[in-house]
Amino acid sequence: MTTSTPVDVFPGWAQLWRRSRWFLAAAVFVLLVALLISGLGGHREYPPLDPRDTDPHGTRAALHLLEERGLTTRTVATEDELTAALAEPGTTVVVPFTAPMTSRQLVLLGRQHRGSDSRLVLIGPDNNALAAITPDIALATDPAGNPLYEDPTAVDPGCALPEATRAGRAELGGLLYRPGPGDVGCYAVSGHPALVRHTDPGSREIVVLGNARALTNDRLDEQGNASLALGLLGSRRQLVWYLPDFSNMPDGEQPKSLTDFIPAGWNWAALQLAIAALLTALWRGRRLGPVVTEELPVVVRAAETTEGRARLYHRAKARGRAADALRRAARHRIAATLGIPLSTGEPEPTALCAAVADRVQQPATDLHALLYGAAPTDDAALLRLTDQLDALERQVRQP
Amino acid sequence: MALTGRTALIAALGALVVGLLLPSWAGIGAVGLPLLLAVLADLVLAAPVRSLRFERGGDTTVRLGDPADVELSVTNPSRRRLRARLRDAWAPSAWAPGTAVPGSRHTLTIPAGERRLLTTRLAPTRRGDQRSHRVTVRSLGPLGLAARQGSHQVPWTVRALPPFASRKHLPSRLARLRELDGRTSLLSRGQGTEFDSLREYLPGDDVRSIDWRASARRNTVAVRTWRPERDRHVLIVLDTGRTSAGRVGDAPRLDAALDAALLLAALATKAGDRVDLLAHDLHVRRTVLGRSASEVLPAFTNAMATLEPALVQTDLRALTSATLRLAPHRSLIVLLTGLDAGPIEEGLLPQLPLLTKRHEVVLASVADPRLDELAATRGTVQDIYGAAAAEQTRADRTRTAGRLTRRGITVLDAPPAALPPALADTYLALKAAGRL
Repeated sequence: MTTSTPVDVFPGWAQLWRRSRWFLAAAVFVLLVALLISGLGGHREYPPLDPRDTDPHGTRAALHLLEERGLTTRTVATEDELTAALAEPGTTVVVPFTAPMTSRQLVLLGRQHRGSDSRLVLIGPDNNALAAITPDIALATDPAGNPLYEDPTAVDPGCALPEATRAGRAELGGLLYRPGPGDVGCYAVSGHPALVRHTDPGSREIVVLGNARALTNDRLDEQGNASLALGLLGSRRQLVWYLPDFSNMPDGEQPKSLTDFIPAGWNWAALQLAIAALLTALWRGRRLGPVVTEELPVVVRAAETTEGRARLYHRAKARGRAADALRRAARHRIAATLGIPLSTGEPEPTALCAAVADRVQQPATDLHALLYGAAPTDDAALLRLTDQLDALERQVRQP
Repeated sequence: MALTGRTALIAALGALVVGLLLPSWAGIGAVGLPLLLAVLADLVLAAPVRSLRFERGGDTTVRLGDPADVELSVTNPSRRRLRARLRDAWAPSAWAPGTAVPGSRHTLTIPAGERRLLTTRLAPTRRGDQRSHRVTVRSLGPLGLAARQGSHQVPWTVRALPPFASRKHLPSRLARLRELDGRTSLLSRGQGTEFDSLREYLPGDDVRSIDWRASARRNTVAVRTWRPERDRHVLIVLDTGRTSAGRVGDAPRLDAALDAALLLAALATKAGDRVDLLAHDLHVRRTVLGRSASEVLPAFTNAMATLEPALVQTDLRALTSATLRLAPHRSLIVLLTGLDAGPIEEGLLPQLPLLTKRHEVVLASVADPRLDELAATRGTVQDIYGAAAAEQTRADRTRTAGRLTRRGITVLDAPPAALPPALADTYLALKAAGRL
């Protein structure tokens, strides 16, 4: 009988530190690397035509030029800010993308919401947007009714618009438009203008560009692009760039996700379920005592060396050695069967061949070649030799 | 502490309450707070684990392959009823395969101040000492939501002895021994045997055994009866170096050697000889010396139980000198070692004259049936190379055995199952020939 002593489960702080220090070190290392990566790779991805973006597709250069000329520029993100900016007189508002905007937002860009002496620059608006903002302008279409599109190229202005005549040749194209009566159309590509200016009463202008290539950092220094950009965007004292967060669209306009169909209360139930899952993990994760380990003896298969030698023979193509070993084994077995004495560990060759020849009725010279012959030259010969030796042994045992 | 599935289930069902009735923090609190209180109450009310008293009893030795029952008595001195799960932890090789988890777990209920006896059934799969690790108790609270958990050290050792599988060969060898001994009705006479007694001639007796002088002194024809020599010394020397670690079939060579040594020891003890054991690799690992006949086998199995092969090259020179020290007079020395050409030729052959000068030496080696299998395999080129390598190994062993035989040593090279009876037969043959 032996008695018991309780085991202290708590290992002590020193032991805990010893056990966990490498994990802590690893965690700190991972954290540092993560911080480093996020710090170094802090390159932000902007959407195209973003005025903060210095990439080829951004418009930082144009804005910078304008700021140098004393314009105040800012960006607006929300609908309210846009409405306020539009209502201000003496302002240029750039709306680079109209496609993701809702019809209600498009209506806000209409004439009655804009202040006097203002300019609204739209880039590549479709018919839907044009109809809401300025119904006079429309997309130019081919006879089948499809919108026309030309890749931007350097074209002459060919119109009386002061900004265009000052700029001269510029790279324009993209969507092409059909100007309304009284509108100025410039930079016609295949007969349709890629830039249209519409003026509403009170000097409220709308400039529609088929494509914003001329404004990008990449192409600003080509042709008259820079001059055109400065002219189009710098005609008023203020420049406002509308950069909506399209992921933050108002409710009701977005497609509904699965969570929207779940009644609100069940989010709390899901939280409670998560707590239950945590408790389950605690329940299942608690072991009834530590894992027991034991030292196992090292055992290697005894035939391992022999198998290794076989692989060595194979790799070295040691057919001669292999044939020698097989022949010697066969000679010894045959000698034992026929009762030929092993003098000096080997049966006497002539006596052996004679005895075998007598037993199997084959010429002794053939048998000598088989039992003492030259090393086989290839693997097929080695296989043949093995078969012949096996056959000979069988015959000797049962003639 | 530990939680139970019940706690998790209640928390999961609480999701219904939160979802249907109180979808807010208040709902989560309404479910969580009572549950937390219940868990705490359970922890407080559970029977303490630290104050439990344990005592062990039961088997201390077991033959490998047989089950051993270890008893654990648990006393609950507290004033609370103990409802607990208990784990009696032992090393994995202490359990029959697949029973480690169910075998070590017990569910028990002990009223306050009472004691219960648990039985843990072990079935060691390895030779050697199995030590108990910890007894871990998870004491559940009255609500079954949470439990206190703690461990106790309750030491106990179960020694797994070598299986001695070859003892099935013992009766037939003992019968042969009795024939030699002259105790059977047949009179058989060995050459080097000792004179036992005279008795009357019976038809069928060898006429050469008639003692004419004795017959002349009495009216009847007297024959001499003989018995083999007794009180000879047998020293079994186990090589526990790296060659004994090689696995043949499922077990290392050493296990087969131990089996052979046990059969020989049992037989020689019955034959009236003294048997000693020496296990050696670089140094002396075990010795069993001068035990009386009834003690030899238990002493051998005990000494062998914890013997494991060492991955070192055996120092055959040191082994020889240790052997000579232990065998000052003429003895039968049984060397259980390998037949590898290198160590034998460099280590043993130079030492052999010292051994053979005074002693009868038998070298027994465990052969690998896998070699025969390899040598007989035909088919691909790889097989042929395998067969050639196996033939080469066999030829080397045969050559080494031949060199040893020429020096006057009896060499046995047999697969694990055949080695113990072969060694026993060799012993009987030597005894019959009076060469001890």
